[in-house]
Amino acid sequence: MMVKLTFQGGLIYLTLTLFVATALALRGRWRAIGRGFWFAGFIAALASVIWRGVHTGHPPMQNLFEFFLCMAAALWPLSQWSRWHNQLDTDLRDALLGVVILIPACFVFSEEVRRLPPALQSPLFIPHVASYVAGYVMLARAALMALPLFRAATLDRMTLERTETAARQTAAVGFVLLTLGLLLGSLWGKICWGHYWQWDPKEMWSLATWLVYAGLFHYRLRHGLRAPGTLAALLWLGLLFIVLTLTWINVSRLFVGMHNYA
Amino acid sequence: MRAVLKKILSPGVAAWACWVAALGAVALAFPGATRAGALMARRPMLMGTAVLAVWIGLAGIRALRGRRAASALLHLGCACVMAGWLVGRVAERSATPERPVTGAMAMIAGDVSDKLWEGAYLTNFVGRLPFTVKLEQFFVERYTRNAVDIDAGREAPVREYRSRITVAEPGREPYVANVRVNQPLRVQGYRIYQMSWGQSQDLYGRPVTYTVLQFIRDPGLPLVYAGFVLLFAGVLLFALRVGCARGTAAREVPS
Repeated sequence: MMVKLTFQGGLIYLTLTLFVATALALRGRWRAIGRGFWFAGFIAALASVIWRGVHTGHPPMQNLFEFFLCMAAALWPLSQWSRWHNQLDTDLRDALLGVVILIPACFVFSEEVRRLPPALQSPLFIPHVASYVAGYVMLARAALMALPLFRAATLDRMTLERTETAARQTAAVGFVLLTLGLLLGSLWGKICWGHYWQWDPKEMWSLATWLVYAGLFHYRLRHGLRAPGTLAALLWLGLLFIVLTLTWINVSRLFVGMHNYA
Repeated sequence: MRAVLKKILSPGVAAWACWVAALGAVALAFPGATRAGALMARRPMLMGTAVLAVWIGLAGIRALRGRRAASALLHLGCACVMAGWLVGRVAERSATPERPVTGAMAMIAGDVSDKLWEGAYLTNFVGRLPFTVKLEQFFVERYTRNAVDIDAGREAPVREYRSRITVAEPGREPYVANVRVNQPLRVQGYRIYQMSWGQSQDLYGRPVTYTVLQFIRDPGLPLVYAGFVLLFAGVLLFALRVGCARGTAAREVPS
């Protein structure tokens, strides 16, 4: 836990505050004010990405801290996309997701540019991690979008289809990124460790996550919209696997593997 | 026969197969990488993987005949990766000392060797390489020591491990090359990795630094990489198709 007392830190805390304000305003049904905060939060997030790039002199995509900043700035465009493409208002949920994304950037990750050990000096490092982070964000978004499906009986047919389509499209994008992360990681494993698959606990949990979503898409193909609640539950099951992969597997001593520096 | 095939290749069955496989993957996370790998290299597991690969491959062929490009690419890609993995494991099982598949050698500067070893202390002889390797020198390079390092009273972290070796292949002039972490060297189907290093003493008690080079040959690798390409192309196509739907595609709603 650390607080950043730099200009960069100030920008991130401003973004976090604006995201929280968005969520509160939209929750209180002040829609115009909420949207204003949401857009202002985007500008602040964008400013912190640009400042980071200008300040360090490299494209701000080179470590987890920078990548989380980019993800926070990507949420407003994503919510606009959902509004335009799926006629859905996802602002409140995206703002909450933004808060969750920014907390590590605010209090966990260091601003300092790390000196990488030889094992992490690879052009595949950033693409591998970036695909996973972006994929996880998209899949978390899909799970949040699917929330109304739990109360499918209260929705009319059109809203139901719209919500489900939006959630599935988001999950499909997340699945592409998940696959890319898995394949890039595998390729990097071959180059760095000598094997493309090591049966490492984190690999196994990531594969399990991938398989949960693969099962979901098969299930959707077979049963269509017959049980929307199950589809939503499966998206949340996938998210549970992601959260476990990120927390328990990283922290617990039960799983000793090669990803321990991650 | 046709009806049975249609039944077991249906997406409904596949969904459950995916979730059972997910449970299996979770179960394999508990014993740790080494034991899980050893378990998966055993004959019944190889057989099971082969059956699974055939099953997924059949689904791919069915999709191909039904002109469903995304599904075909995805399933054939998966089957291809699994088949490549199996080829690698079969090669490991049928390795001979004349053509070993994997092994390592510990060397100090000036050593020349073509012998591969395995085991925690590299004491079990595995076989001989079709070429010889001479270690010219092993380098450990560190970052420049900064204020934080000086405050903590430690050396700067390592920036690079590098073994400079001379490779002598039969029928070719010997040549010098570097092996670094994340930068393996490819010689005659083998990839040479900078695996480890350490400090020890020679026969006269003088300190020496040794490097451990790992040699791996995997004839299944091209198949695995081809599978990766197919798989990713399939996933992309799949997402494009899902993403283009504004409503719900008619084909996808049997209810």
